[in-house]
Amino acid sequence: MNASSAISAGSAPEFRAAGTDLSERRRSGVSRGPIVDLPVTSGTIGIDWAADGSARIGAFTTIAAIASDVRIQDAYPGIAAAAQGLATPQIRHLATLGGNLAQRSRCWYFRNPQIGCLKKGGSDCPARSGNHLYHAAFDLGPCVAPHPSTMAMALLVYDATITTDRRSRLSLPDFVGDGTNGAADHALEPGEKIEAISLPAPLASERACYQRAISRSYAEWPLVEVCARAVVSGGIFQHVRIAAGGVAPVPLRLTACQVALEGKPANAEVIAQAAQLATSGARPLPMTGYKLELLVGLVRDVVERIAK
Amino acid sequence: MNTMIINGRVEPLPEDPDALLIDVVRDQLGLTGTKLVCGGGVCGACTVLVDGVPIASCLMPARAAAGKSVTTVEGIGAQELHPVQKAFMAHDALQCGFCTPGFILEAAAFCDRWRAAKGTAVPSREEIGAALSGHLCRCGAYDAIFRAVADACAGRFDGGHFASPRIEARDKVTGAARYTVDIRHDGQLEGVILRSRDAHARITVLDLAPARALDGVTAVSLLSDDRIVRYVGEPIAAVAAKDRKTALAALAAIKPTSEPLPAVIGLDAARKDDAPVVFDRASRKRAGNVSEAAGGPAPWKRNVRGPTSVFARRAKRARNWVDEARQASNSLLVEGTFRTGTQQHACLEPHAAVARFDGEELTVHASSQWVVHLKEQIAKRFKLDPARVRVIADHVGGGFGSKASIGAETIAAVELARAANAPVRVVYDRHEELSVAGYRPAAEVKVALLPSDRGELKALSVTAHADTGAATNSTIAGLARLMYPAEAKDLRDFDVISNLPPGAAFRGPGGPPMAFAVEQAVDEAALRLAVDPIALRKRWDPDPNRQRLYDWALSLDTWRNRTSAGSGRYRRGVGVATGYWLYLWQPKVKVEVAVKGGRIVASTATQDIGTGTRSVLADTVAREFDLEADEVEVRIGDSSLPEGPGSGGSRVTASVLPPTLTAIQKLKAALLEQATRKPAPGSNAPWRELIARSADIAISETRGEDGKNTAPGIRSPLKDLGLLGVVFGWMMRRNSNIVIGAGVPSSVQVIEVEVDAWLGHVRVLKVHTGIAVGKIAAPPLAHSQACGAVIQGLGYALYEAREVDPLSGDVLTAGMEDYRIPGIADTPEIDVHFDEAGFDHVLGNSVGLGEVATVPTSPAVANAIFNAIGVRLAEIPIRPDRIVAALKGRTAA
Repeated sequence: MNASSAISAGSAPEFRAAGTDLSERRRSGVSRGPIVDLPVTSGTIGIDWAADGSARIGAFTTIAAIASDVRIQDAYPGIAAAAQGLATPQIRHLATLGGNLAQRSRCWYFRNPQIGCLKKGGSDCPARSGNHLYHAAFDLGPCVAPHPSTMAMALLVYDATITTDRRSRLSLPDFVGDGTNGAADHALEPGEKIEAISLPAPLASERACYQRAISRSYAEWPLVEVCARAVVSGGIFQHVRIAAGGVAPVPLRLTACQVALEGKPANAEVIAQAAQLATSGARPLPMTGYKLELLVGLVRDVVERIAK
Repeated sequence: MNTMIINGRVEPLPEDPDALLIDVVRDQLGLTGTKLVCGGGVCGACTVLVDGVPIASCLMPARAAAGKSVTTVEGIGAQELHPVQKAFMAHDALQCGFCTPGFILEAAAFCDRWRAAKGTAVPSREEIGAALSGHLCRCGAYDAIFRAVADACAGRFDGGHFASPRIEARDKVTGAARYTVDIRHDGQLEGVILRSRDAHARITVLDLAPARALDGVTAVSLLSDDRIVRYVGEPIAAVAAKDRKTALAALAAIKPTSEPLPAVIGLDAARKDDAPVVFDRASRKRAGNVSEAAGGPAPWKRNVRGPTSVFARRAKRARNWVDEARQASNSLLVEGTFRTGTQQHACLEPHAAVARFDGEELTVHASSQWVVHLKEQIAKRFKLDPARVRVIADHVGGGFGSKASIGAETIAAVELARAANAPVRVVYDRHEELSVAGYRPAAEVKVALLPSDRGELKALSVTAHADTGAATNSTIAGLARLMYPAEAKDLRDFDVISNLPPGAAFRGPGGPPMAFAVEQAVDEAALRLAVDPIALRKRWDPDPNRQRLYDWALSLDTWRNRTSAGSGRYRRGVGVATGYWLYLWQPKVKVEVAVKGGRIVASTATQDIGTGTRSVLADTVAREFDLEADEVEVRIGDSSLPEGPGSGGSRVTASVLPPTLTAIQKLKAALLEQATRKPAPGSNAPWRELIARSADIAISETRGEDGKNTAPGIRSPLKDLGLLGVVFGWMMRRNSNIVIGAGVPSSVQVIEVEVDAWLGHVRVLKVHTGIAVGKIAAPPLAHSQACGAVIQGLGYALYEAREVDPLSGDVLTAGMEDYRIPGIADTPEIDVHFDEAGFDHVLGNSVGLGEVATVPTSPAVANAIFNAIGVRLAEIPIRPDRIVAALKGRTAA
């Protein structure tokens, strides 16, 4: 049993960092068990830089602090842009990196206290047979809600690892799981706390970009979001890393796109062809086919920006 | 004990881990300038500064504020108004004012940061839009907010000299304005409503004893006498307790037993022959009303009520001609099926009422669009003497049609106050506001438009099915009668009733869906006839007000420079559309203009829901007496004042201005007659002197009939309907207290968009809105209304749609993150053109503009998108999913 399902059973407390996700669930009654405020310690807040240029970001560092950090913007522009693109300014000032990673689903069935679902101890996913307009286009597990964490998706692109109070070097794929556990949004053990995120040193002259597709201009959960990084050397793509959010129960590595770009000339034609591969493995629901069009367009947009 | 410093004072923080900062600010400290709206950090209304940084106080745990310094809106202008506050006042960057405190704090923090870093440089629209992207304004004051923030940053409001066109603006930018949700009487209890979990059920057992057994708890039943609930969220019972938490716990103790009935959800399911029936014959009178006026008789079979087709003309002939044209494959015949989404009013101040009995006297503070009508409804429902019921609405945080009649919040508050013998407040939470508080029904509108061989309009057929939920009385197709005269028109309206919450009137009920369909069909006809779309409208639509607007539209560079569909990633297009609304006014409206204690006072029992009614009255009186507007005291928002109009049907200005002007003339005569001393010769303020010296005098005048002399072509739209029109007009006057006047308020919009073909995103670049509503009574406020109407129309066109679960009937978009209203960065450049002719027969020469100004926006956007990408979008909102699907379909074809 993981932390989240334990909470809904009322047997273990739910952890609170800044509370920007939890407060709304407390008000609505989706979260009813005990809560424990996580203590901030000197080792769990702020950004530390090692001699090799790698960074360690404390779990309590706010999203706004990450977005506005000049050195992060320089070394990990995809992380800074993702932080700048999520939620609203008033939330980014409060919300923490650890909280963003461990936040719960934004599914409109999950958020309704009157409706049961897999993430609340239920036995089926009402979105699958109901209205899933904003849900997954890669149907990887019983729950079809897309993973809510923009930062998890961006960190995946940077091969970041997570340090908890119990283990270090937990990879992002291990942290989010493979989507087959519909009850959970992450794979932390009950009571396990995120302390920091470690980013490998950036490559020389690497570039990155983050974009989201939404209907308005700002402040909207992404229909699709993409983060990519690469080195463009002598007009050739190298070290390509691309991930997508908003389309699957977990942030997705777009391996087929990466392979199609790696070692190829950084031109529009190559990019357009590679972008088509973003949908490899997709299994859209009846209402989410449009996300695949957006995904292709967004990969093309993001990679073109890197190639420029 | 932990403490914080708030607005310079040390205050304790509660131990409760679930207490949020906003609870402490509003409930414990009574700093009600901070508003709770979405409860999810989406809208920004609750923004406060913590150590100088704007944060969402609805999400921040109170204990996290320990040792920090908090500033609320009350603290920001405490010594002297911040330049941002002055700029908001001067630019009229607010309407209902409910979002304003949050905007002020964010903008002040931005302005201070900007000034510290960049001096008096002017920030760009993009920089302002990004900084304020966490704030939502439902009235759509964004255009003025851009200007206010830019000017404040530029240092143009550092001094003390500025004027505001809105007389209550200072109260709204300082947080002093009190709304219904801010009322707190001694001993006031908090009421909450138990709602149905079933879409259709009979409540067999409702035992309130478990709730009543709890200390200090009062519970009442809200069940109707047939004990049937017909939608998820229908009220069952209500509970009052000392606070919301206790009341919710008591609510949870009530476990009604219900017997489920077969349910049907939505338009398509409900009109199937075998669909379960929502209202049997005996219960039909329980259905709600989605229009501004009472409905007439109509056929009603199972869940489909209609057709109502009173506005049709030679309907059978129209049908025959269309059939013949179809069989002959007439290439001029334009046919299409259009679908519009369900639009929620999404008022930022939720539905709310506070009821208090003092002996036999009942006072209800209510977030109401019509205090007089609400008073009458309360008296009738609770069998009280109307003279002993008083409804007060000082400030109303938006209405848009949803607060025009008595709702469950008021019924529950009064029932509970009576049962508890204590004042009770009932405030809808956001889930209630976005699910059961009314909406503009979605619709399927089928259009067939047949030009003659000579290019005239021969026949128009419009059939509308409206998704009205547990309500009836939609008129969409019928509205196509009063424009584009044709030889024959077949106009049929149907309500499709299902187990969804009842729809309600919403800003120009039926107008936007009619225009979305008909205006796209006219655009398509222009294409087939190879005529400029504005020129075709000019040919087909002889209304003199719109003729002038068409000439204006034809002269716009945006229109003249438009090109045809592009093929790259970003494709630009320009579209046009026309709209109209009826000129309505309310008979028996009285306005008192008086001198009281040497001041001039104008009083009428109307209310200001953000439209600027207070200021229209103040400006009118001030202008006539050569005074400043702030020298006029305006008393509104109180049913005990002389009977005033409801804020619906764009009727307020046209109802209150004439009696105000008449009363002013009589008061002037009285002042001169009784003056013992005439003003000094050459005095530049003769009336000010006379008023100051005058004894108290009160003149009360009633709205009279309009003059008969109208400009050429201007006449009552009812005249075109012949005898039927006379009967219809008489019924409107008798049953709904509304008169349809002569002349048609009109609007024409020209809109430019840019479509991102990769991401399906539509960016609106420019809107020209031309409006003919006569003389503009208060120009800056009319400008604000016109911009707000466009912005709400853009929401309807591009973003807003209620989504429901197709089986359970739960509303899924019941939070502001999922129900998407436009933000500031979605606001285009808006050019407002007022054509002030056409209403000289109305005393005061002015009619209302709130509704007409929003009618053409969605078809103008759709026509612009067609111009950009060559695909017609037949369904709104035109979200990215629909754009990419349309483009994919085009590529495939």
